[in-house]
Amino acid sequence: MGPVIICRCEEITDEEIAAAVAEGAASPREVRLRTRAGMGVCGGRTCRHAVARLLAEAGLPEAPGPRWRPPVRPVLLGDLSRRPDGGEGPCA
Amino acid sequence: MRISEHPALGATPAGKAVTFFWRGQPVQGREGEPVGAALLALGVRTLRYSSSGAPRGLYCGIGHCFECRVTIDGVPGLRACLTPLRAGMAVEPEGSPEQEAAAHGG
Repeated sequence: MGPVIICRCEEITDEEIAAAVAEGAASPREVRLRTRAGMGVCGGRTCRHAVARLLAEAGLPEAPGPRWRPPVRPVLLGDLSRRPDGGEGPCA
Repeated sequence: MRISEHPALGATPAGKAVTFFWRGQPVQGREGEPVGAALLALGVRTLRYSSSGAPRGLYCGIGHCFECRVTIDGVPGLRACLTPLRAGMAVEPEGSPEQEAAAHGG
């Protein structure tokens, strides 16, 4: 069937993740740092469970996954900076 | 194709027909429906190009996966599955196969 894309955002395949594990990656974080799987636009939402599953299937002990960092939902910076009254600029 | 009668959600509220722009061309959609739904009804499934130049479009449809991101009125990275259509919106795909291949070595 060929390599399967695990991280859709960065287009990282199961073969690339297996190579990272062979080089010593032993946790989702290390896989992410070596391959970028989980560092794409979706914030790891799509691939985090698949990456954890691949590591488990490689016989690695369960390790804490990537932490959810604020903002938990994607937000435009312009929306974050808008004042409650709808104006721009710092709140009084 | 649009869903007008959903088995669980019922009838889709009839939105006003509006003109918007896809790749600079005027097209028709229904005000308030997701931009991705309007484009799908027009037969448009490719919404952007990935870093390897592959065509991408709607995947999860619920704002989770970011595969459907398009540029609307100059603002990039907006999810077509969540953004309600408004009259006059100028929607553009992000990237092109050649652009992506050149930028990322194919």
